[in-house]
Amino acid sequence: MDKPRTDEDQELVSRTQSGDASAFDHLVIKYTPRLYGLVYNMTSNHEDTNDLLQDIFSKAYKAIRGFRGKSSFYTWIHSIAVNMTLNFLKKRGRRFQLSLDDVDASIQNDKEFMEATATSSPVREADLSELQRRLNEAVMKLSDEHRAVVTMFHIQGMPHAEISKILRVSEGTVRSRLFYANRQLQNYLDEFRKNPVS
Amino acid sequence: MDDFNDNEIARLLRLKRYEQPPPGYFENFLHEFHRRQRDELLRQPLWRICLERAHDFMLRLDVRSLASYPAAIAAVLVCAAVISLKIYQQPETVQVAVQNSPVLSAPANAEGELTLASPVTTRIFRTQPLRSFDESAQTHRAAAPPRYVLDSVPVSYEPTFRF
Repeated sequence: MDKPRTDEDQELVSRTQSGDASAFDHLVIKYTPRLYGLVYNMTSNHEDTNDLLQDIFSKAYKAIRGFRGKSSFYTWIHSIAVNMTLNFLKKRGRRFQLSLDDVDASIQNDKEFMEATATSSPVREADLSELQRRLNEAVMKLSDEHRAVVTMFHIQGMPHAEISKILRVSEGTVRSRLFYANRQLQNYLDEFRKNPVS
Repeated sequence: MDDFNDNEIARLLRLKRYEQPPPGYFENFLHEFHRRQRDELLRQPLWRICLERAHDFMLRLDVRSLASYPAAIAAVLVCAAVISLKIYQQPETVQVAVQNSPVLSAPANAEGELTLASPVTTRIFRTQPLRSFDESAQTHRAAAPPRYVLDSVPVSYEPTFRF
């Protein structure tokens, strides 16, 4: 996913700070799909995601007057989203619901999806739906912090540097979390391939 | 069978980008956001709204630098000094009023000292006492007109006269 233009965001932020509420509406419209993907893949529940997104934008609106532009709005709003989601997950505990049922029908026509289904090796051997379900299970077995990194890097396509800014950790920490999460996911999926019925 | 490598996992995870909310969700999200904002505003107590408005106002004025610790301490000290001055000044003014009261309560039938003109400009103040101690004693014995100035010694403490 491409990073939005920061100068455009900055102008909208300035207008919001000077009292133009409609400028914030533009930011909401612009960032809702992106943040939905982030929060949804961390919570794996649509209702929780909706409530969290509302709270995230509400908090951002209240705090935007104090936003001094030391980081981009993109980083700032993602930091709010990740922190609020991690806090929510700590409160919620390990309860989760699988997200596979919500896969949009348009995915069937997606080029990348068709390539994935046509690829040889493990993907071809296993039923893709079942594999996706197992993958979701595996992702939800990761710790919240590791899932956040996996979501941002693999699903949202953010670079390491951006993730480190959002999480306020070093790039090395991001890489090590990612490495550990990948190993865990591999183990889960290999286990599935060896024992597909379980 | 091959094991999953990083690329395959990455490719599978990328497919999760296409998981989308129900149709129309993003269109309705902004309306829902506005509705929740209004509800939240209505639920807030008045003092909180005022506090937030004041906070916004301060932020708009960019007086954050003024709210640093030295400035805050100086402001507190100035307030304390002003309040303490006010408190210590109040008893003094009461005392002055008490000291002046004998002059103001001079008997109206003092001869020759009052004119028809304004009393403020033409009243002559005497340095000697208006009444002697004996006169004061007589007022207690005879049916004296009501007095509004209390003596330093209560009447009940005076020795009884024996004839």
